[in-house]
Amino acid sequence: MTIATLTKPWEAFSYGFLDASAKRELRRKMLKAIAVPGCQMPYASREVPMARGWGTGGLQVTLTLLKPSSVVKVIDQGADDSVNAASIRSFLSKVSGAAETWDTLAATLIQSRHRIPEERLRADQVLVLQVPNPEPLRPVEPNMSVARQMHADADYGRLWLILYEQIVRSGRIMQGASYPALVNGRHVMTPSPIPRWDLPKLHMAQHLTFLSAGREKRLYAVPPFTRVEPLVFSDVPYKVEDHAALTCHRSGVAGYFMNEIPQDGGGSVFELSDSNLGIKAIRRAEGEDVALGATWYENGKMQ
Amino acid sequence: MAYVATRGGERAIEQSERLYRAELGQIDAARIRALRAALPMLIDRVMGEASLYEPDLAALALAQAGGDLYEAVLLLRAWRTTQPRLAVAAPVLQDQLFTHRRISAAFKDIPGGQILGPSLDYSHRLLATGVLQGRPFAPAPVEPAADPAPARQPSLAAWQKAQGLVADPPRAEVAPDEIPDLTREPLLFPAARAHTLQSLARADTGGMLALGYSAMRGYGNAHPTVNELRLAEAEVRVRHPRGTEFSAGRVKVSQAEVISKGKSGLLELGFCATLGWNEVKVISGATLDLNAPGAAKGSPVEEEFFLYHTEPVEASGFCIHFKLPHYVTFQSSLDALRGSKAAAVPAPESEEVTA
Repeated sequence: MTIATLTKPWEAFSYGFLDASAKRELRRKMLKAIAVPGCQMPYASREVPMARGWGTGGLQVTLTLLKPSSVVKVIDQGADDSVNAASIRSFLSKVSGAAETWDTLAATLIQSRHRIPEERLRADQVLVLQVPNPEPLRPVEPNMSVARQMHADADYGRLWLILYEQIVRSGRIMQGASYPALVNGRHVMTPSPIPRWDLPKLHMAQHLTFLSAGREKRLYAVPPFTRVEPLVFSDVPYKVEDHAALTCHRSGVAGYFMNEIPQDGGGSVFELSDSNLGIKAIRRAEGEDVALGATWYENGKMQ
Repeated sequence: MAYVATRGGERAIEQSERLYRAELGQIDAARIRALRAALPMLIDRVMGEASLYEPDLAALALAQAGGDLYEAVLLLRAWRTTQPRLAVAAPVLQDQLFTHRRISAAFKDIPGGQILGPSLDYSHRLLATGVLQGRPFAPAPVEPAADPAPARQPSLAAWQKAQGLVADPPRAEVAPDEIPDLTREPLLFPAARAHTLQSLARADTGGMLALGYSAMRGYGNAHPTVNELRLAEAEVRVRHPRGTEFSAGRVKVSQAEVISKGKSGLLELGFCATLGWNEVKVISGATLDLNAPGAAKGSPVEEEFFLYHTEPVEASGFCIHFKLPHYVTFQSSLDALRGSKAAAVPAPESEEVTA
């Protein structure tokens, strides 16, 4: 036996960038996260070649799940060609040999910042959401040690209280994105800053969702067919953004979450936030044979 | 596809990076050598915050980042984390350090003596503007002392412990592989002592100074006295797989011990050490460590507060992430705001309620 037989040829980086010990730790924490839905699992969160706050948590989970046969889609604010999404996607394919796609239907692995695609995800797809702040209790308790204790006690009274105060002060719940939700009847999680429009897509979904915060070193999961219930009062129904009646000025598609584009001289036009759904709709209108998947919302209503 | 043309995408980010790098020009070995020779203190600071002792790589990181310290630290950290952990070096004791500088503000003189070593503390801070007019600034040569200071110095705290002035808790022996490693585990609270010291060692110098200074000005309970400040070189002793222990080289280290009269009737110590020579950082870090026991939740001297907020890669990354688009979250807030305005009845009494 020689040393050469025991070692591998030198390579600058491991497959998928992360070394084996980092991946092993992540896989263990990801399995734990699936076992206790919505519960935040601390993990080492190695540095990656991107700045913290730019999707490093999602990146680590994605890098751990990637294999050469993966087809990866990355979106930021719903768009595949957003600069940071483009940067992450090219890094992922470079270090793994995985194929890139913009098409939700073709992807096996979707990393996203702030949106869930409008087309329904399937059981064979995994969604990885980038999370800036994993702690739903942060607005009421900035100290992480105390917040951890509150989760252990399922002590969520102060979260209900701020929602109630919003109703008293403003006549409605003012929480925008990151709407807190009770997962599997036990842990309150923040779904990451997805709009309220997207939160119902996680409830009893077919796909697995990982949520990972690299800077804060926490990851959690929503396994398939898990209850995800927004915190609401029984007499004040949950309200998604009032986008059901808006029409995309590029594709003519209506009934999905939109970006508002202010116009000179007042007023706004709207465009589909899920940019590739818009592209596909335009192509189809131009006569191309493009498959559009079933969507969670139909005619502006959650199905 | 007119839909896409409005956004920059891949070409934009590539050209943006090229613009930045065009300013820096070609990076070659000569630039790295020049940086190492000219800026040893900066190299030390970056190595400390990256927790990676490799002056050539630190100089390379600085060159690649064009001197942006946070970028340089991230480059080194991202490289470091992919490297295998081959061995754990033997613990270093203070009295075995090859000491260049060691001072105490607590006593006029101390066993082993006050050794000033290299310092700008007593220099007059005058710019050598002649350099710009073509007159090079050549420092006067050092005149060696007739009686050189011993390279190894005892620890002042050891003397204080012997005098019964400082508590001397029993030392628990920990196997090298059992030492908690912050780079492989998350920081949780209450933190393991090893995690606290590792976190201080790789903290952001400026951030630590800001929080340490707040404690020094009075937002802490304890006023620090510098018990001992040391700049030294530490031998990295590792064990060969065959069993022989050998020195793999020396690394520059700095450490500070600050002291204050505690409620227990004994003196209490705060400690901080880091790779490289960085006096401001270790004095600030030791001051925070001194003030941490019993600090109120959310105060700048509480361990969770200062350790989270002085992590350079996390803090700088989150700060610059606000440049990323946030229009989905903004749209969601805007919707709630408009909904609330539409629901509001413009009656005088409702104005009072909302005010």
